Amino acid sequence: MKDRSTSRWLVIVLALALAVAAAGCGGEEKDEATGGDATTETAGGATQKDCGKVVLNEQAWAGSTANTYIAKYVLEQELGCEVEITKITEIPAFQAMADGKIDAVLEDWQHVDEYKTYIEEQGTVVDGGPLGVEGHIGWYIPKYLLDANPEFSSWEGLKGKEDIFKTAESGSQGMFLGGDPSYVQKDKELITALDLNFKHVTAGAEPAQVARWSQLYKQEKPVIFYWYTPQYLNQEFELAEVTLPERTTDCKDDAKTGGDPNQYKCAYDTTIIMKLFSKKFADSGSPAYDVLKRMQLTNDAQEEVAKAIAGDKQDPDAAAKAWVDANQDTVQPWLG
Amino acid sequence: MSVATERAPAAVVPPRAWWRSRAGRVGAIAAAVLAGYVALRGDFPWPAQLAWNTLGGELDDFQSWLIRQRSADDQNIAFAVFDGFRLFVDDLVTRLNDLLLWMTWVGTAAAGTLIVLRFGGSRAALGIFAAFASFALMGLWEESIQTLALMLAAVALSLLVGMPLGVLAGRSDRVMRAMSPVLDAMQIVPAFAYLMPVVILFSVGPAAAVLSTMIYSVPPAVRITALGIRGVPPNTVEAAQAMGSTRLQTLLKVQLPLARRMLLLAVNQTILFALSMVVIAGLIGGRGLGDVVTSGLYSYPARALLGGFAIVIMAIALDRATAAIADQTDPARRHLTDALRRKLRLATTATAAGIAAAVALGRLLGAGGVYPDEFETDTTIYGATIQGWLLARVQAVLEYVQDPSSFVFGLTEPTGNFLVQYGLEPLRVLLVETPWFVTIAGATAIALVLSGRRPALTTLAMLGAIGVLGVWEQAMDTASQVLVAIVLAVAFGVAIGVWVAESPLAARVVRPILDVLQTLPQLVYIIPFIYLMPVSRVPGVVASVLYATPVVIRLVATGVREVAPAAVEAASSFGATRWQLLGKVKLPLARDAIMLGVNQGIIMVLAVVVIGGLVGSGALGDEVARGLQRNEFGQGVVASLAILALGIALDRVTQGNVRHRQRRAP
Repeated sequence: MKDRSTSRWLVIVLALALAVAAAGCGGEEKDEATGGDATTETAGGATQKDCGKVVLNEQAWAGSTANTYIAKYVLEQELGCEVEITKITEIPAFQAMADGKIDAVLEDWQHVDEYKTYIEEQGTVVDGGPLGVEGHIGWYIPKYLLDANPEFSSWEGLKGKEDIFKTAESGSQGMFLGGDPSYVQKDKELITALDLNFKHVTAGAEPAQVARWSQLYKQEKPVIFYWYTPQYLNQEFELAEVTLPERTTDCKDDAKTGGDPNQYKCAYDTTIIMKLFSKKFADSGSPAYDVLKRMQLTNDAQEEVAKAIAGDKQDPDAAAKAWVDANQDTVQPWLG
Repeated sequence: MSVATERAPAAVVPPRAWWRSRAGRVGAIAAAVLAGYVALRGDFPWPAQLAWNTLGGELDDFQSWLIRQRSADDQNIAFAVFDGFRLFVDDLVTRLNDLLLWMTWVGTAAAGTLIVLRFGGSRAALGIFAAFASFALMGLWEESIQTLALMLAAVALSLLVGMPLGVLAGRSDRVMRAMSPVLDAMQIVPAFAYLMPVVILFSVGPAAAVLSTMIYSVPPAVRITALGIRGVPPNTVEAAQAMGSTRLQTLLKVQLPLARRMLLLAVNQTILFALSMVVIAGLIGGRGLGDVVTSGLYSYPARALLGGFAIVIMAIALDRATAAIADQTDPARRHLTDALRRKLRLATTATAAGIAAAVALGRLLGAGGVYPDEFETDTTIYGATIQGWLLARVQAVLEYVQDPSSFVFGLTEPTGNFLVQYGLEPLRVLLVETPWFVTIAGATAIALVLSGRRPALTTLAMLGAIGVLGVWEQAMDTASQVLVAIVLAVAFGVAIGVWVAESPLAARVVRPILDVLQTLPQLVYIIPFIYLMPVSRVPGVVASVLYATPVVIRLVATGVREVAPAAVEAASSFGATRWQLLGKVKLPLARDAIMLGVNQGIIMVLAVVVIGGLVGSGALGDEVARGLQRNEFGQGVVASLAILALGIALDRVTQGNVRHRQRRAP
């Protein structure tokens, strides 16, 4: 008897689920049908090839949100595309482009190994040229610290004064706050090569690193850390860069491979931010591809929109719209 | 069967000399290790000749091979299987999501509430309704529905895989023994290590997200189902067999029905474990609330917190609903008469009709699939959510937390610094600089004293494996953080657990807090601590403690509460005070439960190592996180294996002879 009631319960639930599912499928077809009508209408009205759906991948940081939403607004507004934004993390995003699940990544900070695998060897991802934004990595200190110690404008001025940066966890040495471990860096090697008395301390992912240095900044304490432009926080905090030794031709930036610290003994090179496209998207003949390929942004433009989104907490769609509307002379050339 | 009778003879044996007691022997071993450190510190790092340094590179080659195979023109037939799974799951999740949107927000909320009302009662239904209402008011309806669809699919598939395996493991010791290490690995190996292979095989999207979730949520389904099957009294099974039941009949008619409560607990735990993967699943296309948390962390922490709370609300509502359904539909508890049965059937029909009506109403009124941000009338627009208000409140709290001149910061910063200077750093130096053979010998000896010969051998093998993996120093660094976290988690856990067991009021106050801590993504509750304790390694330790303590509290509280009442009564009739009762009767008798709490706490602490890596813990967690983020796949896997080995070693050292006793107990 117990059994029967349990099984009846199961049957009822299953029947209910089936009924609801059936209703769902019926509705879905209807929706598709209306969707189909809409497409033919636009196809009839527009002279261009239909744009259809475009999938852009947004990275976690605010700069990427800015350029992705600018592109979204332009594609939706000018070409009538349906834009979907995904948030796949960096390395898996390459495989996603190879599989055609993502059409474009607009801000890629030179993942050289993945370029080799996916662009050169497989040809499943296409190099979309530079976005126009140029990344710059360096050592930064707060402006107030530079004002008090003008010699900190260059690494040589730090020598012998490292203990100013002492904290609870760096012992007798000064603390150098390292960058997000997932970013290109060589600071441990630089510290060794330059013979500075710093202890390299990892704060973890970018939000955690920002928390660390901004906390010290608010207390007006000394801090030196790995940082970069373009970054919207540069508009909120007054930071100054410490000059590192000049670049030499055979100098390296990514200490992932390790080896002799002296091969890293120079300032970071400028990083050309790349746009990347799925091969399938590039070959699709979508007008969106041509627009995205022509899209160009400056550091200032990107920082402005990123600041509006992350700093002033504006809705990304609204921030992108405001910028695009105010910068038609920049946007028009993208449309060809 | 009761613990009290089993251990009663111990009371008449005179106490042993301290050096022969367990604590004495462990202390002696620790002293010997310390002596080894003082005498030989720093002279014996793990020898390079004994490390398998090429393993990372070989794993990298394997990944490249996999990527090439994936894009090859003549694809391996195995990929057809992966593609089949991918298409099936992608379709399932998409359809589920579309269905929930098609029903409109009115229909979806009504359907959830009414179904739970019918099978779980009004309290649980109210909970579900409140959950839907909060998704709506938070302005996170669409994201919540995406996550709900993903989680329903993941939980259904986890149970589909996990329960049959659990039945097998429940019926055969050999299957259990074979499966146990695999389940351990699935729970301890950090998801970051296997996300990339999952993406290569299943691309990004729902299928990859569901699969990664399943790796974490299948083990509880298997374990608890097996436990349930084993818990069926053997004489009942024998009786069934004596009456000529086949194995299948015995299973279907005796074992499964009698294990019903455990099976429903398996469902319940699977849901909670699955929901703790929402953020990670978001990284590879799971969408929904996971994305809200991840991108919020970088540009809008208040929004990340809001997304985290939505996950908690979903988890707690589903937890309560499944528990209530389990309770209400328990055939042993309700006595069905024909009249009652008719009434129930009518109620079911009414539920179905109610859902249909709500869906129809929603569609006719033109309610969208997604709850709107604002309602429009002819004259005015009303805001429909309180997202802005909520964000402002959360932001205000965050700003207080970020203010280095605040009162709280004045307390937490020195606490953090203290923890580094007098806890983490000395212990790290001790573990890293003690000669490796001294450390291994010491740990093995302690395992021998506490747990027995086999666990000691396993400990020896695991620590050796860590060395061979070539990450001895990082592993010792991580071990120092894990040990500090375990000590804190156990200290808090035992204290609060006892309090909860003793005071019903405390139990009521603490339970919701524990629920939140267990289901809030660690990345979310870690945010305030990054600001409050701005010193590397401490936020990671705090995260581990917050994640592990609830489990310790729960196990300790259950253990203390279930101490045989006869023993307690006997002691109180001899005039024992409350504290004597606690210290001399309850705690000693609850020792097994407390040891199990310690043991489970360790597993939980290790599960958070990678999160620690994201907030500055360095060491193994850092390497695993980098493995995904910088595509150092091989190194990430190596570090993950080291975390696993460390976990198994710590587990064996602390398991005590709990398992022995469990096996002996009927």
